[in-house]
Amino acid sequence: MKNEYDLVILGRGAAAFSAAIKASEITAGQATIAMIGFGPLGGTCVNVGCVPSKYLIEAAKVAHTQSSPRYPGIEPGLLSINFGELMESLRRTVKEERKERYENVIKSYENIDVYDGKAQFVDRDAIIVKNNSNPKKLKGYNFIIATGSSTKIPKIEGLNETGYITSNTVWDLNSLPRTLTILGGGFIGLEIGQSLERLGTKVTIIKEHNTVAPGIEEEIGKTLMEILTSEGIDFRNGKKILRVYSRNGKKVVEMQSNLGKEEVEADEILVSSGRMPNVADLDLEKAGVKYSENGISVDETMKTSNPLIYAAGDVVDQKYRLETLAASEGSIAASNIYESNEKRINLQLVPWAVFTEPQFASVGLTESQYNATGRKSTTRVVPLELVPKARILKEYHGSFKIVVDSETEKIVGVHALSPYAAEFIIEGVYAIKYGLTFRDLIENSHIFPTVAEGIKLTSQSFTRDLSRMSCCME
Amino acid sequence: MRVFGMTCDDCVRTVSEGLKEGGASEIFVSLKNGTASAVVDDSMIKPDDLSRLPVFSEKSHYRAQVRKVE
Repeated sequence: MKNEYDLVILGRGAAAFSAAIKASEITAGQATIAMIGFGPLGGTCVNVGCVPSKYLIEAAKVAHTQSSPRYPGIEPGLLSINFGELMESLRRTVKEERKERYENVIKSYENIDVYDGKAQFVDRDAIIVKNNSNPKKLKGYNFIIATGSSTKIPKIEGLNETGYITSNTVWDLNSLPRTLTILGGGFIGLEIGQSLERLGTKVTIIKEHNTVAPGIEEEIGKTLMEILTSEGIDFRNGKKILRVYSRNGKKVVEMQSNLGKEEVEADEILVSSGRMPNVADLDLEKAGVKYSENGISVDETMKTSNPLIYAAGDVVDQKYRLETLAASEGSIAASNIYESNEKRINLQLVPWAVFTEPQFASVGLTESQYNATGRKSTTRVVPLELVPKARILKEYHGSFKIVVDSETEKIVGVHALSPYAAEFIIEGVYAIKYGLTFRDLIENSHIFPTVAEGIKLTSQSFTRDLSRMSCCME
Repeated sequence: MRVFGMTCDDCVRTVSEGLKEGGASEIFVSLKNGTASAVVDDSMIKPDDLSRLPVFSEKSHYRAQVRKVE
């Protein structure tokens, strides 16, 4: 192990890996790179984020289909769930994915040294790595800060004493809670909440706002909440949590609304109040890197206030916290360090999804966000039940919404609540990236029957009455 | 300069010629250390622009960072 590196990367999640590999590729493996972090390799996504949550979601979907078959003639089966075995297989999958995608990958790069420990800047070009053994000082020419984010724990009286789980620790469960209270209406809580409800938990979600998942189109969020309610989730909207306490082995949440005080009692509490960037203890002031409690400030090239230091991923002050975005930003940061043609991130082209069933996926701006830019938008919403494939699937709840600039007709936002929405939202990304109008989307055939055809039908609804159109016409 | 991507003496020659074509003189390229030093007339080319010369462009094998200007 060296004392001085061309590139020092703080963190070892998606952004850090992407940056380290890109830097290695660009420099033909000649850049000496240190990667510093603690906990299992791979960061949030593979260990406690996308991978385990999607595993649980898919397993819960199988259970739900078995207990609530959609087609006449197929009767519900007797559902037998060994939750402990399911969670053991989930953890095994996480371990395998981590080994395959991170541990084995990093071993194949001889120019990258991985350090265990917490990094702290001691100068503009040096850090101390602290772990159980002696602290080690490392110097670097360039740095990329990719320390990720952590679960935000709200300050609620009695919460710490009563105990709770988070999206980091829910994966350690071996027995299914009979009842679960989720604090917060963000997408992580929705995904875990629906999955556990389908596996047999009675789920209550308490939130301050009347909508779900911040940033979502309001009417789509409302529909999603109705769907989840119909599956049995109890939403308590517009509530302010007063305190949490234990009573007869149960965890009680006391809350206040306009109607007065009320309580919810459950076996377990899941805190899902968002995530916060890991900027504390880095001593960023010593590196000349500007930041706030919302994260590190960067320009579009991912450069911080210190021109030799970049930041990428969840630690950045930005509206999205996504693995795909983190990996993209890590790669952009590495490119901009070693290549002269500056690459820039465009958050308007970043698709994101909530993996509830139906899925929600979105790219670009919502109607209100676009109108707030001072330009005028025109929108169309098509209910899922007008899409033939959705009727075949017997999935009637959901919708598509497309936002276009009123003057140019160019697409500026695509939003879908439907089966497979996460799979086909990429069409919206290309539409926005290449300045396509809704007419461009109409002129290209979409496979029939697919749910993705909803994008084309929504485009057609700008100029036509869909009820007077035959199948597949352009 | 820190120079990445050089693997043989031919690379050293290519990088040296690239720097020369860019207006540098008194060029010394080290394969072992992955470094280069050169003198430039900053009224002709700014030192920081050396890393943007065609020899270090995206289509080339080589990349460079100007690390110290004296």
